[in-house]
Amino acid sequence: MDYKGLAEQLVKKCLKKGADAAEVYIENGRNLSLEVRKGEVETVEEAASYGAGFRVFLKGKMAFASSNDLGERALEEAIGRAIEFAKITTPDPNNVLPDDMGMTEIAGLYDPQIAQIPMEQKIDLAKKIEQLAMKDSRITKSDGARYGEAEGEVVIASSNGLVKSYRSSACSLGVSVVAEKGDQKSSGGEFCGARSYKDLKPAEEVAAKAARDAYEMLDPRPVKTQKAAVIFHTDVGYALLGGILGAVNGERVLQGASFLGKMMGRKIGSELVTLVDDGTLEKGVASEPFDGEGVSTQKRLIVEKGLLKGFMYNTIVAKRAGVRSTGNASRGGFTSLPGIGPHQFYLAAGQVKPDDIIKATKIGLLVKEVTGYGINPVNGNFSGGASGFWVEDGRIAFPVKGLTIAGTADEMLNGIEMVADDLDLSKRMAAPTFRIKLLQIGGE
Amino acid sequence: MKFQGYFVEDIPRRKFLELSLKGGVALAATPALLRSLLAGDTASRPKVDLEDLNRVIRHALSQGGEFGEVYIEHRISRTILLEEGKFKSAVFGISQGAGVRVLSGDKTGYAYTDEISQEKLIRAAEVASFVARGAKTVKPVNIKVDSRPSYITVKVPLQTVADEKRLEIMKRAHDAALAYDARIKMASINYYDEVRSRVIANSEGLYLTDDLPLLFFIVQTLGVGSNTSHMGRERLSRHSGIEMFDELKPEDAARTCARESIVMLEAKDAPAGKMDVVMQNGWGGVLVHEAVGHPLEGDNIARETGVFVGKLGKKVASDKFTMVDDGTLPCFRGTTNYDDEGTQMKRSVLIQDGVLVKFMTDILSAKQLKMERTGNGRRESFRNFPIVRMTNTFIDRGKDNPDDILASTKSGLYVQSLSGGSVNPTTGVFNFTCREVYLIENGRKTTPVKGATLIGSCLDVIQGIDAVGDDLDFGPGICGKGQAAEVAAGQPTVRIRGINVGGSRAR
Repeated sequence: MDYKGLAEQLVKKCLKKGADAAEVYIENGRNLSLEVRKGEVETVEEAASYGAGFRVFLKGKMAFASSNDLGERALEEAIGRAIEFAKITTPDPNNVLPDDMGMTEIAGLYDPQIAQIPMEQKIDLAKKIEQLAMKDSRITKSDGARYGEAEGEVVIASSNGLVKSYRSSACSLGVSVVAEKGDQKSSGGEFCGARSYKDLKPAEEVAAKAARDAYEMLDPRPVKTQKAAVIFHTDVGYALLGGILGAVNGERVLQGASFLGKMMGRKIGSELVTLVDDGTLEKGVASEPFDGEGVSTQKRLIVEKGLLKGFMYNTIVAKRAGVRSTGNASRGGFTSLPGIGPHQFYLAAGQVKPDDIIKATKIGLLVKEVTGYGINPVNGNFSGGASGFWVEDGRIAFPVKGLTIAGTADEMLNGIEMVADDLDLSKRMAAPTFRIKLLQIGGE
Repeated sequence: MKFQGYFVEDIPRRKFLELSLKGGVALAATPALLRSLLAGDTASRPKVDLEDLNRVIRHALSQGGEFGEVYIEHRISRTILLEEGKFKSAVFGISQGAGVRVLSGDKTGYAYTDEISQEKLIRAAEVASFVARGAKTVKPVNIKVDSRPSYITVKVPLQTVADEKRLEIMKRAHDAALAYDARIKMASINYYDEVRSRVIANSEGLYLTDDLPLLFFIVQTLGVGSNTSHMGRERLSRHSGIEMFDELKPEDAARTCARESIVMLEAKDAPAGKMDVVMQNGWGGVLVHEAVGHPLEGDNIARETGVFVGKLGKKVASDKFTMVDDGTLPCFRGTTNYDDEGTQMKRSVLIQDGVLVKFMTDILSAKQLKMERTGNGRRESFRNFPIVRMTNTFIDRGKDNPDDILASTKSGLYVQSLSGGSVNPTTGVFNFTCREVYLIENGRKTTPVKGATLIGSCLDVIQGIDAVGDDLDFGPGICGKGQAAEVAAGQPTVRIRGINVGGSRAR
């Protein structure tokens, strides 16, 4: 089906029905997911789906409607609903559509081969990773191995004459296992994602990580409540990044709901803190040629050597702030309006090895799991559950569980005193191993 | 076969005005009349041909398998955002689709389609039957129209409500929030409603249809103080018509939210380490929803990974602890007439006076565990197959006086409200983020402290509950387990001894 043609035709229909400006966003695609447990296929799920979203503007008022019925009658109905709905919203001169005609060239986002690989091979891969993860005798149970794939096309057309589309694909592979010893249970899981089947990490590597995460946490010991250095393992970088992301959202900044709102150009972290948002990385899991409303994506420095350099904007919020869109319009699919979100958001790698950080730590906590909501984007407060390892005299001493860590974004970002070189960009939010000078740890 | 025309259609606004002029809205108070009214609106409403559905089910089981099912869904939704004094956006959603599922032993095959036609359903049945190739099969029972008791009553159906009414409700909340205190600098009001229509047909001969309305109203307010800010939140939700707002006033929700935003501007650093925690009645029940409820879901029991494996019939909690999952509480957010597999909703006592007596199940885990179906098979939409989920889950009412519970607690934390949290169902280790929390000093609630994390393990916490109040209350929320589900969580005021609190200062 010619979705580009359909999108352009639907833009015209919106205008004909009374919209001053309109945008049509169409998604179509297919997905497959399967799960294997104890060597047997447990679930297979497969589907193809599509849908269209209509953003219409009427004398500065904006509304949106979506439908996954692409029959003529349903589409007419959805457009009519959007236009009716626009009448009830408040007019705003910032309600505009982008006019960026460009597209960022990014290689490797789509692999047409994925669909050609037989189902049996994918099932075998999931069976293999489960088997590998169960190899260690300390691993007693499988919580399943999963393989998933999706591919699809995004089409955007608007009354500004913009018509764009791109195809992308993704695969993922993961496994979860349980280690038991007496009454103790410890779970571990790992997954990896890639744009292409052949770029998935080796099953051996993913399985070994899942198993290790489970068994190495057996026999934890308690520690006292204290202040100490906290080393964030590369698995938990999101605990730092998530709250910052909320705080550099241009709309939250305008609303006064960001702890970074008044810090532009000022020092918010140590010299070792450089935060990047990159929508352009080749084969990147978070890359796209244009954002959720068709603006070309970029690679941007959000924080450079501790100085806050940029916020994130979509077109409407950028106009309100008097700046240009940063290509950060995010879309939760064809059913939603564009919001603001990151592409690949990461803490830039440092120079030292992760082991060097542990060696340089006299007493501290190496966190491998952080639970909770991370840094609060409104006030910068941080509190979370933590588990990992206790470090003494430059060596890992024993596993610890059921601890808490707490502080403020200011203490955390300015306290970053070592950053390792082990950045792994296979996840959307990533950070290398880093150490924070001092945080409150809650224990016995 | 096309089902599109079958579903009750949402009335266009113009039509609504005509109807209200004729007194149609008053008449619409009874669902049956509403149906006929709406049927008049879509004169050509075709009947679903049951034989077509039988064919799809037979096809799904043609390779093997012991259970085949067709689920058809249609959903109309509205989301309106009032923020910074502006109705910023309005989003209208039309979603429909169908899923076909095959169960064979421990295996699940599932496929779905956006297009509801005989051809696409047969194709989905073929894909779903993949897992059952070569397995033994059952002969499906021809479907027959069935019905279930209803726990959801509607006075003013959402389909008949003019948008102006929705805006007025939102504006009342917005204005009340800003009027509460000059330090409330922003209010954000998110209004959501939907009507979800379901058709469930399966190889056991079941055929059920219903329409479920849902309202979800979220107020957030930003309090700005001299050196900190706090975003408060309050939520209202029911499966109900718009009359929900007659009982749960938008202004009250806004003031509750604004009060939290202002109080927390004075919050001091929370202490770190183990301490006693008193949790106020209401949404705090989300703690046991996570810490105890998820591990009691039959899927992880069938997989033998969960923390409660092998503990049925055993004492797992303190004598004062009784926990219930009840999908029949009238109009509650977690209530439906039957779950998304067609199983009748029930009240299930899971832990009685500290003894584990029941697990929650869906059709698959009930079969695997050889237990009864408890009506906990739920799905986010036709794009997901059902899994075991909670409905309205709560710690049952006890006998202690809430004031006495606080007064008899020498020191610790008083948790007035929680944001939410999560649990690892295998280990039972949970975490929660507090929204509004105070120090307890000499049996009195004193200084507010910053939103700390509470962590602990499931078994420790339910063994450590030593006081349960008589003031059971509930709050609405969203539960995530790969899929989203609307739930309610509840509890009376309770005291938990020795929880680890993630504060930022040593005591």
